[in-house]
Amino acid sequence: MSNSMMSDTQAKALPHATETGAATVVDAAKSDRPRSLGSDAWRELRRRPLFIASLVLILLFVVMAAFPQLFTSVDPTYADLNRNLQPPKWENWFKFGVDGQFGYDILGRDVYARTIYGARASIIVGLVTVLGTTVLGGFVGLVAGYFGGWLDSLMSRFADIFLGVPLVLGSLLILSTFASRAHDNPSAFKIASLVIIALVALGWPVFARIMRSSVISTKQLDYVAAARALGARPSRIIFRHVLPNAVAPLIVVATISIGSYIGAEATLSFLGVGLQDPVVSWGVMISGGITYREVAPHMMLFPGAFLTIAVLSFVMLGDAVRDALDPKLR
Amino acid sequence: MGRYVLRRLLQAIPVFIGTTFLIYLMVWGLPGNPFAGRCGNRPCPDAYIQRMTEKYHLDENIFAQYFWYMSHLVRGDFGETFTGTSVNTLLAQAFPVTLRLAIVAIAFEALIGVTAGVVTGLRKGRFIDNLVLVSTLFLIAIPTFVTGALLQWVLGVEWGIIKPTVSSEARWSELIVPGFVLAAVTMAFVTRLTRVSVVENRRADYVRTAVAKGLSDSRVTGVHLLRNSLIPAVTQLGLDLGGLMAGAIVTEGIFNIRGIGGMLFNAINRQDSALVVSIVALLVLVYLVVNLIVDVLYAVLDPRIRYE
Amino acid sequence: MTDLLVTGEPASQAAGASYAHLLEVEDLRVEFRTLDGVAKVINGVSLHLDAGETLAVLGESGSGKSVTAQAIMGILDSPPAFITGGAIRFKGSDLLKMSREERRLVRGEGIAMIFQDALSALNPVFTVGFQIAELFRKRRGMSRADGMRRAAELLDQVRIPNAKGRVKAYPHEFSGGMRQRVMIAMALALDPEVLIADEPTTALDVTVQAQIMELLAELRRERNMGLILITHDLGVVADVADRISVMYAGRIVEEAGVYDLYRKPSHPYTLALLNSIPRLDLKGQRLNTIKGLPPNLLRIPPGCAFHPRCSMAQEICQRELPPLRELPGGRTSACHFAEELNRE
Repeated sequence: MSNSMMSDTQAKALPHATETGAATVVDAAKSDRPRSLGSDAWRELRRRPLFIASLVLILLFVVMAAFPQLFTSVDPTYADLNRNLQPPKWENWFKFGVDGQFGYDILGRDVYARTIYGARASIIVGLVTVLGTTVLGGFVGLVAGYFGGWLDSLMSRFADIFLGVPLVLGSLLILSTFASRAHDNPSAFKIASLVIIALVALGWPVFARIMRSSVISTKQLDYVAAARALGARPSRIIFRHVLPNAVAPLIVVATISIGSYIGAEATLSFLGVGLQDPVVSWGVMISGGITYREVAPHMMLFPGAFLTIAVLSFVMLGDAVRDALDPKLR
Repeated sequence: MGRYVLRRLLQAIPVFIGTTFLIYLMVWGLPGNPFAGRCGNRPCPDAYIQRMTEKYHLDENIFAQYFWYMSHLVRGDFGETFTGTSVNTLLAQAFPVTLRLAIVAIAFEALIGVTAGVVTGLRKGRFIDNLVLVSTLFLIAIPTFVTGALLQWVLGVEWGIIKPTVSSEARWSELIVPGFVLAAVTMAFVTRLTRVSVVENRRADYVRTAVAKGLSDSRVTGVHLLRNSLIPAVTQLGLDLGGLMAGAIVTEGIFNIRGIGGMLFNAINRQDSALVVSIVALLVLVYLVVNLIVDVLYAVLDPRIRYE
Repeated sequence: MTDLLVTGEPASQAAGASYAHLLEVEDLRVEFRTLDGVAKVINGVSLHLDAGETLAVLGESGSGKSVTAQAIMGILDSPPAFITGGAIRFKGSDLLKMSREERRLVRGEGIAMIFQDALSALNPVFTVGFQIAELFRKRRGMSRADGMRRAAELLDQVRIPNAKGRVKAYPHEFSGGMRQRVMIAMALALDPEVLIADEPTTALDVTVQAQIMELLAELRRERNMGLILITHDLGVVADVADRISVMYAGRIVEEAGVYDLYRKPSHPYTLALLNSIPRLDLKGQRLNTIKGLPPNLLRIPPGCAFHPRCSMAQEICQRELPPLRELPGGRTSACHFAEELNRE
């Protein structure tokens, strides 16, 4: 066969036929703009009611934590023993300047005000802990995964040791040790930081593991090898190529973890080793309210409900983000 | 396979040593009088201080202390409480109770969790799927102690279906609700994990091959799909033991179960640090052993792992 | 419980009719309903295959060749795929009209299929012996021991060395070529009359490719099977095929005997494909390619689907869909200018 076979029919072909043909092909290609994982994920996220709902709730809680004065004008520490254990005043709901919507606790403090102010401690502990664990764990995982060798072995063993201690168990240990040694009344800041440090100290290995496996699989991809072959410095490779791609699973777990850390703080407070008076958190309130749950269930119910909804919204957010980033689940 | 097991065993030993050392350090190794606050609100009895110092060489450096402590531990001697009771006897009483509770919890996770995960994985998008997804969301979000307190109040006090607290014999029937409470969060995770695994594996090439071979639907799903999909769940069940043990403290506290968790809870409240360290060391040991078993189980289930 | 196909007694034979071809696909139409629209993946495909024949289905990615094979086997994921028309007759009976159970019984016994990537196509957690033996156990009622014995025999037939020892091995313990042989053994277990091979050698290197193709040819001869070979590789096809059907955008655009096709292609697409094969005597010159891209199946161009890329396209090609017409010499082509190409 040779090209001369086409001569006759080719000669008869209208010259612009192939051009318009080419034009239609190009047009078709333009309207199908390339879609990246990020833009695809965002498109999916926008569509999901779960994502919108959880985002709204989280925003609400963050505002509540930052500006509790917007939600209540009552002083959460003001105690009036005359009204202790009184049930919620339903008629006061949705009114400003009054108190008692959620009832009063054992010391006569307004439960509603305490619940609002409690958001601050709970959410801050959750967010700061996640920040700490993600940064610390992420850094260790990144270094271990990227450089490998003895550095990896060392860091992995180190992480395994901390992983050997379950989160609540270990925090329990740390906090009870320090609590028994602290004779004076520690400040709210000190208490909260201790809880955060304990949680971060035990929680970072989880993130380190995730980051490490993520980095290891990203490291083997072709474009990383290409960057290396072009002589890029390790720091450049890490920050431009490896990190952006390895970070996705970390984000999903981090989002869900905010919820678990808020829950962990509550559990520790329930066990008596977490935050304590004068700090107000949902965990503290529930812990105080459990003993009176039969006579004054409102003491436990309202902070419990807030706690559940807060954790729920973070878990939903994490769910939505993971579903959006994972094309296989659609 | 044997080499794999051996390797994992050898890896576990330094981790155990490291973890227990860390715990020991946290409790005994901090600066200051080690007996401060160790015996509740009162200063420790002199006899106790003397016994402990002698037995564990507390006048020497921290490494020697740890060595002596561990040498007693590996011989099965967990020391004594500050009131002089042998920890071993306490553990012997409490351990079977917690074991029963844990078995009930794992049964819930395995039966309900895995089944729900498989069903929703196969019926993705339908009503049952959404129903289960929402319920698991709630179970994950509500902390164990809230679930426990709630169920105890509703079922035990309000409706009177169960006894609010568990007796000292801790019969199996009494452990059902506490076991469910303990299992709740992990069960929800197992459901979700299994669901994702089933959904992913349904589209796998080997499923397509099994259908192309002319095997019946029940065999394709029941044998080929399930065998692959259950692997992550099984390993997760084992690994979550850590969370289970932590949750046990809460659950046993709420339902007044005289198990290890309850013992630990009381020890913390009474500030008996020696007891706390002993119990935590035991729990860590159990955790590591279970992890080892899970790793081996994983290799049995997934032949590709055996050669790593 | 076992299921036995009542062999050799298709419904049509009971009715007294005999069949024209062992396997016949008539005007098959398949569409994929997606979020972005309806993609017309198969638009009127007709094929036929007889015992002892090798039919090659040739085409680029996206031409619809794999979907055709999966439609024949009945393993399309529905949704999103939907069969919207046509018939698939195996020994005269329309598979599309059968019940699920009847259709299932045809798989493995009547028509079997092997896939491109043997590593993912085999179940990683079961031994290869188990996966082959289960066919004997479930479909023929054999015992476990017998099943494994037959599995070892089959592994031997596909030339896997030390078959009896390898029966207990897992898929990931084989090399690529050996794995493909395992798949072939598994497909042939129940002595099917038709074997569909979907790109069986694409993932293998060239020497192994040749071995596998030779094995397939030999097995086909020994068993007098019909073989449908799906591929995009013209080189692979030349040795093994008797007839070739060329697919483009979900349609057959040309069908001819292998010699006829290579000597005198009667469709611009086939011509362009053949021209694009690199040749040693044209060394130093530019490689020929086909301009443009395969069409977006959500928006197939009007008229002849190939016209935007065809160097011979005329005005009629944009307007009218050329039908698949018979040409002298027992071949067909779907081009308005097929006769001219055939004559030259």
